Amino acid sequence: MSVWVIAEHRNGELREVTGELVAVARALGAGPVTAVVLGGPGETEAPAAGLPAGIDRVVRVEHESLAGFNGVAVAAALERVAARERPAVVLGAHSAAGMDWASALAAGLGAPVATDVLSLHRDDGGFLAVRTVYAGKLQARVRLAQAPTVVVTLRPGATEAAAGSAEVPAETEAAEVPAEVGRRFVEWIQEAAGEVDITQADVLVSVGRGIGDPEDLDVARDLAEALGATLSCSRPVVDLGWLPKERQVGISGKTVKPKVYIALGISGAFQHVTAMKDAGLILAVNKDPKAPIFRVSHYGIVGDLFKVVPELTKAVREAKG
Amino acid sequence: MNLAVFVKHVPDAAEADLRIGPDGRSVRAEDLPFQMNEWDRFALEEAARLKEATGGSLTAFLIGPGEHEDSLRRCLAVGADRAVRVWDESFPTLGPAAVARALAAAVGEERFDLYLCGAQAADDGYAVVGPTLAVLLGVPWAALVCRLELQDGRIVCDRELEAGWFERVELALPALVTVQTGINEPRYVSILGIRKARSKPLEVRGLADLGVDPDEIGRLGALTRLEALEPPPPGREAEMLEGSPAEVARKAVAVLREKGGVL
Amino acid sequence: MAQACSKRRKWRGFRPPSLLAFQRAKAQKRWFVGKLRDIEGVPLAERYELAACLQCGRCTGGCPVGLRSPLNSRRLLYEALIREDGEVLVEREEVWDCTACRTCADRCPRGLEPVSVIREIRTLKIEEGRIPQTVMDALESALKHGNPWGRSRRKRFAWADGLGVPTLEEGDEAPNLWFVGCTPAYDPRCQEAARALAGILRAAGYPFTTLGNEESCCGSEMLRLGELGLFEELAEANRALLDEVAPETVLTTSPHCMNALRTDYDPAVSALHFSQVLARLADEGRIPFRREVPLRVAFHDPCYLGKQNGVYEEPRAAIAAVPGVELVEFDRSRERSLCCEGGGGRMWLEGLGEGERNAQQRVRTAADMGVDAVVTACPFCLLTLEDARKTAGLEDALEIVDLAELVWRGVEDLPDPCGLETRS
Repeated sequence: MSVWVIAEHRNGELREVTGELVAVARALGAGPVTAVVLGGPGETEAPAAGLPAGIDRVVRVEHESLAGFNGVAVAAALERVAARERPAVVLGAHSAAGMDWASALAAGLGAPVATDVLSLHRDDGGFLAVRTVYAGKLQARVRLAQAPTVVVTLRPGATEAAAGSAEVPAETEAAEVPAEVGRRFVEWIQEAAGEVDITQADVLVSVGRGIGDPEDLDVARDLAEALGATLSCSRPVVDLGWLPKERQVGISGKTVKPKVYIALGISGAFQHVTAMKDAGLILAVNKDPKAPIFRVSHYGIVGDLFKVVPELTKAVREAKG
Repeated sequence: MNLAVFVKHVPDAAEADLRIGPDGRSVRAEDLPFQMNEWDRFALEEAARLKEATGGSLTAFLIGPGEHEDSLRRCLAVGADRAVRVWDESFPTLGPAAVARALAAAVGEERFDLYLCGAQAADDGYAVVGPTLAVLLGVPWAALVCRLELQDGRIVCDRELEAGWFERVELALPALVTVQTGINEPRYVSILGIRKARSKPLEVRGLADLGVDPDEIGRLGALTRLEALEPPPPGREAEMLEGSPAEVARKAVAVLREKGGVL
Repeated sequence: MAQACSKRRKWRGFRPPSLLAFQRAKAQKRWFVGKLRDIEGVPLAERYELAACLQCGRCTGGCPVGLRSPLNSRRLLYEALIREDGEVLVEREEVWDCTACRTCADRCPRGLEPVSVIREIRTLKIEEGRIPQTVMDALESALKHGNPWGRSRRKRFAWADGLGVPTLEEGDEAPNLWFVGCTPAYDPRCQEAARALAGILRAAGYPFTTLGNEESCCGSEMLRLGELGLFEELAEANRALLDEVAPETVLTTSPHCMNALRTDYDPAVSALHFSQVLARLADEGRIPFRREVPLRVAFHDPCYLGKQNGVYEEPRAAIAAVPGVELVEFDRSRERSLCCEGGGGRMWLEGLGEGERNAQQRVRTAADMGVDAVVTACPFCLLTLEDARKTAGLEDALEIVDLAELVWRGVEDLPDPCGLETRS
């Protein structure tokens, strides 16, 4: 038995979530932990060198097709090696990369798969995954069938990352990947820097889909102005084109850690919450008392934004004199 | 260009008090309004735009009982030429691998140039069906596509990554993409539009019609089995500020000053 | 839907009709088609007899948004006449500025209907699917939840929590049915007015019941936004309930609901506005006034109450019945009342116009007249005037009061049994 951790890296850098995967793999007690680093020629050395402590074995797999951590090629490469070595668990991150390769690997192996897992447990019945459903409103316990290998992706940020340094010499393994997988990596693209950097703000007033109308942003702007805060938002507001992406707090946007975070009409999907939960003080206003945002907030107000926020703005102005 | 889009009809959990059914594994759906999965709306819109731009056909697939046909009618109203609904009494308890297998069977011998799915479903949030279906169909895929462009015989897509990064990839056709929200602006589908689309064909198939062995579906369905639903842990348990808007505003200002160190 | 309505149908189990049920009902011809038709096929110009248009411009001259918005009904009619394909018209974003107040139609010397032509252009846009996001949200919510405010149907009756307001769901039958409406049910400001009305009706011993959570949006604004099919769906859902209950009287909180029931539903439902019921109750001496309400007020005639349905006297009579109230008139009142810009779906549209909104002009005029409060009797007017009062910085100078709230102030016996805040 062994547990494989698929190291996540981008553009030559190991991503932090890999440390979380190692910590979970270690705690599982299902055998030695192998870190697998896949990538194009020359892409695996630097990430392999940055692996945290707790790893028993490091395997580097390089191939032209794997350039840019190509999900189609990663699934194909892992499938062949896993079919042979039969790790009990293949652990990945429920990230943009994991959402690309993990379920395809499971399909290729005919293996059980659980994605976006908060915690993974091992008992007599095999593996049990705990994950959320209905946008975080309920939690589900999911049983993975007994199988030679199971594939699990973990929600980034749900676990404390392993620290330290692996200090294990990396082996290299020849990849058995077809030269042509039907998908080719072209380039990494970084969103152009905008006018504001929300990560530098001490106070953020953040709006979600609860605002309903771009004109209603003014209500939030007034509050931000009164507080001397910066305006940010959740994903749907960007999807609708009401605010530019540079103001998006979330996994695909920016991770923020302001002193004060005021969430207006944000339901609290994990993609958002993960990126703001470490703020010093979180105050949420939402009309739905069951909104998941209240589970990460220090203070909550259930109510209509358009009633509460103008009053709050007024009270702030009065407090400032 | 011949296109296939896969959609799911899901409960709208926003503002809902979700109640767990007596089996401990299901949500009491009778309390909830249903709608097309948010991500699938974007996939459908992208498919419809591609069809409008290139000609060809668009076929919509859905797994679900008769009540879920509203989502297929939407597809037909937006421009699908044909819709296929697959249903079997054993489906409600099945995990995503079985769903993908049934969808692959529904596609059957037909070949499409591009298959589109939403990146994930709003209810179970697995994000598994898309890539699994691609493997079963034997085509390359890209997940979380937020921009898509057709370039002679292949597509160039941008995948949305974390922290403001994107990845540009090229896919040889036929291929499958899972679509991220925000890729386009889904159009409004009017009731008259849906009524007019009633003349378009909507086929209903069972597992037997698809020539799929129910045992195989059962086995795939059991790979990932929902044991129990439960309320989430309370987390931080926000202290709720209560009263009239003016009162909560006053309390909030006190909090911002004393605990937040601002003001 | 229709065939599912046995006389003994269980209220609790009622669900709004799905599209499939709707189709079945239609196939069985239990459906009303009424004045609405598929708009393709016959050119706008023909159906609305636009060749009769004199291009006199009376429509444009009377348009309440005409001075600020690019909306020009005279020109739209002309273009509809000379362009049969509608392609040009469908590009016109300014059609969303129309408040559907019907002033244009009332002023037309040839009896033409510019307001309906505008609505049909909206329908063309709706059928193309390219409409403002806020409108899309409202329409989709109305289909999904039975209200345009994006709120759960299960919370529709939450405004009445603890008030003991009767509902048919609870088996509370009565000869009079109060059709509460979406905005009074869900908007926090308008809920206050709904609670006041509940208090008055009870204090007056007026037997009534409500549809509780089963009530659906009347469809008025959906129709005026151009979503004909959605209007039909909603109307059918409500009609199924109304047919079964067969109330003697239907009273509405909103003039928009009343107007829809009276003029858009086919066959019509003879609904009354609550001001008409209050006027009658006051006349019969059934409203137990206990307190003086020493206010000087001006009444703002809602378009859908006055201009469109000729109800001018009853709200004034109800105001006059409140002890201590002095009623004064706006220069622009009754038939000439200034539209607040809340109708025609404008609750979900900001409008392209720049400059001062009508509602702002209204509250400034009221402040200049030296009244203590503007009284109105429509949830949309209430909201637009409240907004305008804040924008105009008149929060301390002027109150916006719903007619029901004004009457309730004369009735309520402290401590307030309806939890109604008494503002000073």
